[in-house]
Amino acid sequence: MAMYGLPPGLVNPPRPLPEDDEESLPVSGRLGPAPGTLVLVLIFLAAFAVYYFANWKMLSFLWRIG
Amino acid sequence: MRWIYRVCPVTGLKIDRQADLLIRAHGVAATVALLIGGIAAVLVLLTRWQAVHLLDAVWFYRVLTVHGMTMLIFFILFFEMAVLYFAGPVLLNCRVPAPRLGWAAFGLMVVGAVLAEWMMWTGRADVLLSSYVPLRAHPLYYLGIILFAVGALIVVLQFFASLVVAKRERTYEGSVPLITFGAATAAIIAVITLGHGAGIYIPTFLWSLGLMEVDPQIYRMVWWALGHSSQQINVAAMVSVWYLLGALTVGSVVLNEKISRTAFVLYVLFISMASAHHLLVDPGFGPAWKVVNTSYFMYMAVLASMLHGFTVPAGVEVGQRLRGFTQGLFGWIRRAPWGDPGFSSLVLSVVVFGFVGGITGVTIGTEQINIIAHNTLRVPGHFHATVVSGTAMAFMGLTYYLIPLIFRKKIAFWPLAKWQPYLFAGGMLIFSVFMSFAGGFAVPRRHWDITFSNAPFDLQFSPAVDLVMGVMAVGGLVAAVGGALYILITAWSVFFGEPIREGELSNGHVRSAAGAGESAAAIA
Repeated sequence: MAMYGLPPGLVNPPRPLPEDDEESLPVSGRLGPAPGTLVLVLIFLAAFAVYYFANWKMLSFLWRIG
Repeated sequence: MRWIYRVCPVTGLKIDRQADLLIRAHGVAATVALLIGGIAAVLVLLTRWQAVHLLDAVWFYRVLTVHGMTMLIFFILFFEMAVLYFAGPVLLNCRVPAPRLGWAAFGLMVVGAVLAEWMMWTGRADVLLSSYVPLRAHPLYYLGIILFAVGALIVVLQFFASLVVAKRERTYEGSVPLITFGAATAAIIAVITLGHGAGIYIPTFLWSLGLMEVDPQIYRMVWWALGHSSQQINVAAMVSVWYLLGALTVGSVVLNEKISRTAFVLYVLFISMASAHHLLVDPGFGPAWKVVNTSYFMYMAVLASMLHGFTVPAGVEVGQRLRGFTQGLFGWIRRAPWGDPGFSSLVLSVVVFGFVGGITGVTIGTEQINIIAHNTLRVPGHFHATVVSGTAMAFMGLTYYLIPLIFRKKIAFWPLAKWQPYLFAGGMLIFSVFMSFAGGFAVPRRHWDITFSNAPFDLQFSPAVDLVMGVMAVGGLVAAVGGALYILITAWSVFFGEPIREGELSNGHVRSAAGAGESAAAIA
């Protein structure tokens, strides 16, 4: 249900979860309960590594050894 | 004194009348500051865009000072004070401990901000945000900042007092909600920050009166303990808002309370040391001091951000999966409420803050790499991704919930409100990335004219710089349109908006970010 001028979280809030939902966490194989987030995190780490080492490479052009 | 409160129809929480009014006042002041800082931003942008080059040198540095001070200090801190009243008395279901003191503090902040703005706009404080000694501004400029900081400190102390009141009056059960815990870490960092602010602005005020001397190197060191730490108040507050928005919009869960709380504590312990990365090319400090602070201790604060960067989206994912959105790896995100500006602001804030702000920040904060980035546009490229795309975007998303919950008005121009986060974040993403590119070509920051016209020497940048700066400017203008829309929507909603009628808000059962099994009542 949507209502003009009101965020959906207020007029149609997320369905409440049962008290013991920690035990019902959906686990998808080896990737744990949040496999999508894990993939996003790995993409983040890859981007981080590429950017970080690209900067060291740029630095090496300026500070040559020998 | 009789406690006057109302009961929120969504959460069932008792909302103190004074907390309600103080949140409104700080929110309005923040929006006014955003408007002033935003106008200054467009003027700066149209001057840095070499093809336009709007302002002369004097007005460029004047308006740049206004932009930095108004956005980074006045807008952000006014909003954070509103967040503290929300995370304290409202979420803890208690009264404001000293309402009159709260209004006095608000008055001090307004007087301080007006005084500093007056000095800046009249050309008596052309010293940029950092106001490095021996650049000297009018004494009233420093006095204005001191008054503003004292007001902010009183609000922070009021927040701590509300924790005591709530505990004593047993207005909540168990531990404080995670959002309040996060806000408490922001408040602790605020005390550290404001302490350093007093430590440097009071002597500088006396110096501006000719009463004492201030060493420029000592000034830089203590000022950055204020300047950088103040941005970490933003980070802690922003992460708290992430958890809040996740819970409100999709009912996200907290995967592990201890990990999230420990990450907040890491901010308190290590973030101040990260201030040293502003001094990486200063000759007055040894390399060991620089490396230990920026390549060891700072990484503990980075670790905290990476923990939150995982737990917030993972909490959204698990919350979605528990509600049946289990298709594939990303079904939970495809089926998310992308038309809810609160949710889209949350996602855009997390993504741009992490991928652009986080990655660039850690990289250029490394001592060796800093030498090729220092004082170039890579630095503002980084912090526009963190403070603007991250913090301001999260605060904007929260506003779309605060207006109905606190002001009890509907959001005006609703279709525009749904697009506003995309416009703002998209523009800022282009702006930040291309600003960083320009910095990669060694284009300096805080510089009126990179053609160096009439200079005694000649310096040519790569021809690509013109294109990069042009794209950066277009991105900045798109973001400015997004920012202007936000101001229009919020101001219209607050002052001319349609009131919410009885029964239009449902009794929410948003899952609490305070911990497993609690109802929405612990959130908002």
